[in-house]
Amino acid sequence: MTDKNWVKIEFASDTKNVAFARTALALFASQLDWTLDEIEDIKVAVSEAVSNSVIHGYELQEGVIKLEASYEEDILTISIEDFGKGITDIAQAKETGYSSIPEERMGLGFTFMHEYMDEVVVLSEIQKGTKVTMNKKVQAQEGS
Amino acid sequence: MQFSLKVVDKTLVATLEGELDLHKSPEFKEEITMLFNQHPEIRYLIMDVERMTFIDSSGLGVILGRFKELQTRGGKLYFVNANPRIRRILQLSGFERISSFKKSTDEVLSQVRGAK
Ligand SMILES: Nc1ncnc2c1ncn2[C@@H]1O[C@H](COP(=O)(O)OP(=O)(O)O)[C@@H](O)[C@H]1O
Ligand SMILES: [Mg+2]
Repeated sequence: MTDKNWVKIEFASDTKNVAFARTALALFASQLDWTLDEIEDIKVAVSEAVSNSVIHGYELQEGVIKLEASYEEDILTISIEDFGKGITDIAQAKETGYSSIPEERMGLGFTFMHEYMDEVVVLSEIQKGTKVTMNKKVQAQEGS
Repeated sequence: MQFSLKVVDKTLVATLEGELDLHKSPEFKEEITMLFNQHPEIRYLIMDVERMTFIDSSGLGVILGRFKELQTRGGKLYFVNANPRIRRILQLSGFERISSFKKSTDEVLSQVRGAK
């Protein structure tokens, strides 16, 4: 039998829920056999994607964010979706150091997601929203 | 996240505890900026991150922004007690080029006192 599981959570776009989302996701992800560092990596990636929905997608106004996570065997998949303003140029958005709010932000969110997860896929449509899907495979650990 | 800010001569020592993300960043930014404005003599910013358990690009952005304010006065940025994880994210975001990593606040304080 394959080991699998999933969760879906919807929450308000609020800066307070960034911590909620990464903590909830870390708890779900802990059902797999990660190192502590890997769990921290996953938390950063989730924090970046959710922060982007709150600050860019909804520009700190009201909105709904959907978080879905699942795993099958040793691959964890996470998606974070908003129904906000969307990204005009995804390639540019992903560039290290690019931010549409350069006075305040470092433009490193997508860079961190790429660094800490194995794969990051961004789908976005102007005025419809953005969905970021990421996955990460558990590395075989010694003695397990 | 809790933080405490203390001015020692020309140095602002920020001690962070917990998680620095989008939620707490604005308050952190405002309080540091306020102290910079009240104390034009401040040249050095020490971030004691020993008890900081999490940081992402929003938190790092606020630290970088404060460093830029300090740079106009010829200031310097130090991180003390950074564990390997925090070091890694700092390196990834280019902080090793613009700041120094030190073992303790006292080490930095005596160093900047010597430099005058
Ligand atoms: N969910 C989103 N909705 C709209 N725009 C987004 C979203 N996520 C990212 N972006 C755009 O992509 C840019 C780069 O994102 P990121 O790498 O996280 O940097 P930062 O958040 O520091 O600006 C953002 O400045 C923003 O213009
Ligand atoms: Mg971002």
